[in-house]
Amino acid sequence: MLAQTALTTAQRSDLGASSTDGLVGKLTERYRDRITGYFKIPAIAARYSPFPPGVSEPLIDALAARGITRLYSHQREAWDALAAGLNTVVVTPTASGKSLCYHLPVIEAVRQSRAKALYLFPTKALAQDQVAELLELNRAGDLGVRAYTFDGDTPNDARQAIRVHGDIVVSNPDMVHQAILPHHTKWAQFFEGLRYIVIDEVHTYRGVFGSHLANVLRRLKRICAFYGVSPQFILCSATIGNPKEHAEALIGAPVQAITRSGAANGERHVLLWNPPVINPDLGIRASSRSQATRLARHAIRSKLKTIVFAQSRLMVEVITKYLKDVFDHDPRKPERIRAYRGGYLPTERRETERALRSGSIDGVVSTSALELGVDIGSLDVAILSGYPGSIAATWQRLGRAGRRQQPSLGVMIASSHALDQYVVRHPEFFQNAPPETARIAPDQLLILLDHIRCAAFELPFSAGEIFGETVADDFLDVLAESGVLHREGDRWDWIADSYPAQAVSLRSVADGNFVVVDRSGGRQVIIAEVDYSSAALTLYEGAIYMVQSQPFQVEILDWVGRKAFVRRTVVDYYTDSIDYTKLKVLERFDGSNAGKGTCHHGEVHVVRRVSGYKKIRFYTHENIGYGPVTLPDQELHTTAVWWQLSQAALAQAFMSKQDALDGFLGAAYALHTVAQVSVMSEGRDLQKAVGSGETASSSGYDQQGRGQWLASENTECADAVFCPTVHLYDNHPGGIGLSEPLFRRAAQLVNDARELVTRCECKAGCPACVGPILASDEEHRSPRGLALAVLDLLA
Amino acid sequence: MSLLANKLRALQQQAGGAATRSVVVPRDDIARHLRKLVQCRERLRAQPLVAPAGTEVAPGVYLVERRIDSTETDDAWMPWGDLGHVARERLVCFDTETTGLAGGVGTRAFMIGALQWQGKSLLVRQLYLTTIAGEAAMLRIFASWLAADSVFISYNGRSYDAPLLKGRYRLNRLPCPFADRGHVDLLYPTRRAWRGVWENCRLATIERNLLGIVRDDDLPGSEAPAAWLAFLRGHSASNLRRVIAHNDQDVITLAALLDRLQILPLEEGAIAWQQARPATLPA
Repeated sequence: MLAQTALTTAQRSDLGASSTDGLVGKLTERYRDRITGYFKIPAIAARYSPFPPGVSEPLIDALAARGITRLYSHQREAWDALAAGLNTVVVTPTASGKSLCYHLPVIEAVRQSRAKALYLFPTKALAQDQVAELLELNRAGDLGVRAYTFDGDTPNDARQAIRVHGDIVVSNPDMVHQAILPHHTKWAQFFEGLRYIVIDEVHTYRGVFGSHLANVLRRLKRICAFYGVSPQFILCSATIGNPKEHAEALIGAPVQAITRSGAANGERHVLLWNPPVINPDLGIRASSRSQATRLARHAIRSKLKTIVFAQSRLMVEVITKYLKDVFDHDPRKPERIRAYRGGYLPTERRETERALRSGSIDGVVSTSALELGVDIGSLDVAILSGYPGSIAATWQRLGRAGRRQQPSLGVMIASSHALDQYVVRHPEFFQNAPPETARIAPDQLLILLDHIRCAAFELPFSAGEIFGETVADDFLDVLAESGVLHREGDRWDWIADSYPAQAVSLRSVADGNFVVVDRSGGRQVIIAEVDYSSAALTLYEGAIYMVQSQPFQVEILDWVGRKAFVRRTVVDYYTDSIDYTKLKVLERFDGSNAGKGTCHHGEVHVVRRVSGYKKIRFYTHENIGYGPVTLPDQELHTTAVWWQLSQAALAQAFMSKQDALDGFLGAAYALHTVAQVSVMSEGRDLQKAVGSGETASSSGYDQQGRGQWLASENTECADAVFCPTVHLYDNHPGGIGLSEPLFRRAAQLVNDARELVTRCECKAGCPACVGPILASDEEHRSPRGLALAVLDLLA
Repeated sequence: MSLLANKLRALQQQAGGAATRSVVVPRDDIARHLRKLVQCRERLRAQPLVAPAGTEVAPGVYLVERRIDSTETDDAWMPWGDLGHVARERLVCFDTETTGLAGGVGTRAFMIGALQWQGKSLLVRQLYLTTIAGEAAMLRIFASWLAADSVFISYNGRSYDAPLLKGRYRLNRLPCPFADRGHVDLLYPTRRAWRGVWENCRLATIERNLLGIVRDDDLPGSEAPAAWLAFLRGHSASNLRRVIAHNDQDVITLAALLDRLQILPLEEGAIAWQQARPATLPA
């Protein structure tokens, strides 16, 4: 019945197009009001280069057997740079033959001198892809190259063989960190021959993960030095703003960047799509999910191979179901639609990839899992349900549609989030903005300490030894004091009976994840893992914790043991924590004027406390009760950037204190949005707080997501000079390097925030500019106007 | 400690790392005074201790040596591979004591005990470290005890002691004595012959039940790392003395077990040897 309805809707909305150009024409005609931006990227012809003289006959034959008779210009450039002994980063679009840039020199080195190479990919699936490609090439030319994946799934008896016989070992940073370096003596033979280290998808190594990887590479180079080798690095990246700088930061050495692709590309259409407004007063729009489903239907009906990117695994399932209801309702016919996401079995994923390559299915719905370089051939249409969070990732997803000769279409559909709305309403920003720069902070103290600990396990340290850019002695003293190192004269040796790499996860700063243990039915089953920083917000006693939309109630939270015991339950409400944050400036690093106010960055002390929780009924969202929470305060020393205005400036601009505060709350919301865009961070890495002077206290958000101002507990503050302040702080102990670049771009941020608020189409404020508002807010001065007043003063 | 150290400690705590360990901040004069006293005691304790036994044969390396009369002089019967009957003089029963079971290159052997037959006597020699820096010398001395045709005898040594020592030789850039010598791990034939007879096949269980050896005041092997650390940090030498005794008994038990395996009933023995993990010679 449902499928039937869906079917008729689909027929009704059939646009009758039969090519990409036709579809673009029909869409722009029918949905003019939803398209906020449209641009065309002209077709590019291929630029070729001949094989360099160093490539041997059998390899050329093997490539010819696979249809490659000459190189793209960037492949040749990479060869030449490597031959000149340079570390090299290749930055070209998806499907431009990037992997040949490293296969070529590596295979030659293996064949000529039995050199070894280590390939690193961020995921296991990508590693397996590359090994498959290498093996095919090897078979095609009988090249005698032995390539193996080495990951968590590699059986123990195979590991020995790989260590001894592998010419090319394809792995991931986590394995290097936890399995290879701590056992480097077993890999001695491999290290002694190691000539190339290939790191693909380096744009994914930013923030915490990138900072860890940079340190893993420092350790790797330290071990290489022990075995007397200094391998050359070959890096590859999707388009980012600072490939050379980023690659150099990762490997700690100069890198030659190759950024001009020689691959051909058909014409590309890109549409920015804003779903229609359904409640103009509160600024609420139709869901991006419904729009994505509709567009996918149009595209598939037009016989175009289509990929839909959704923002969550759940959304992938929902959209897949809706599309299957239309296209796969007849079980006798072969499947046309498939879903692809993390959590599926590898075999199933491989099968979908194969089906995509061979063109036997018409549509795939995926999470970011298909954003990386998994080989799925070329598609005609890419539909993004929601802004992926960065320009670079957007282009990478759009790049999944694109053929050498024919035109392709990419559609970015905005959700109602502020970030999405910002991007979709600024087509020129989207079109012209250089892709984000990737940033890492390899010398973040805790990360550095973790890796010096691991490095000390791998080889003893000598006094004065430099790790990365830091003399390690002070760190070694701290480790010696905690008993894991022993100092003898000028040397520190590992002495503890422990394996430090096991305790360090490359994907986070904080350790001590909480496990959620389900005690329903007398058994104890671990059903989820929650990282330390969000445990207090989600696992307090009484909380409803949901897994696959199934509610569990937290019965006991063992804070020290890092466990939450839950039981399956039946309730018609969910819980939301009431937390507040106090922030205190400890040290100013730098400051400048900002309009009539000032802007600073420096070190801050943040205390977060969860004081209770609310019970909120599903669907009606009414508040049906409160509960207390008693948990230790969470403290955080981190870095922040903050803006403030003097009392004099405020008195002129605002009628009341409350108005000024409302203005600051709105301004904070807008600044937070544009700051996230600017530093390519995820929302939870960067937090905001509003307060007075050097201290701030603010609650999280109430159920509408609206920021609230809490009077400081501290009475002396109330009498102090009123000096409202917006803080944006790094949400990791010690900071992860976000606030310094924000400070440098402070003026630009204020301008961007002003523009965001000015150009918003709402009346008084909405989730896209200054945050959700209450209906009553429209009666007096609007939150939007107040926020703008604050931003004007800061500009 | 430095400012950086304090900062690091605070950050660790915020990251959820050191929840169980609190930083002591002296509140008043008494606390400060106490802290000084404790530090003073630590310094006194940190004085190097006198090595509990043996003589220093290289800086930081001590040797404990003793001879035991033996009546057993026949060849040992090792019915597999190309070994067959092996002259007793070629056998080296060995066992190490290590800093732990965590694995990886951070684990080292601080003691190597070896038993060799010399004519009518058994020579038991043990090397141990009193400084970490002595490791290379210890490894060199152990290698110097071996002849080109020596055959190692161990209990679980093929999986544990030998790979660990291999790594240590490599780390110290020394040639590895295990690379080109035979190695017989008695765990496998023992397990074959007596699996399921006692609660497990650990050496302590086997020696008590099969060989009737009873140890006095034995320090369990699991406490050896702590004993050596206590010595290294200048706290106490008494448990290290017990580790030396423990290790000494281990290699003697190995020799006794080898003899016991010689007199397996023919059929049982044959099965045991045949099905034992094959080959000892490196590929």
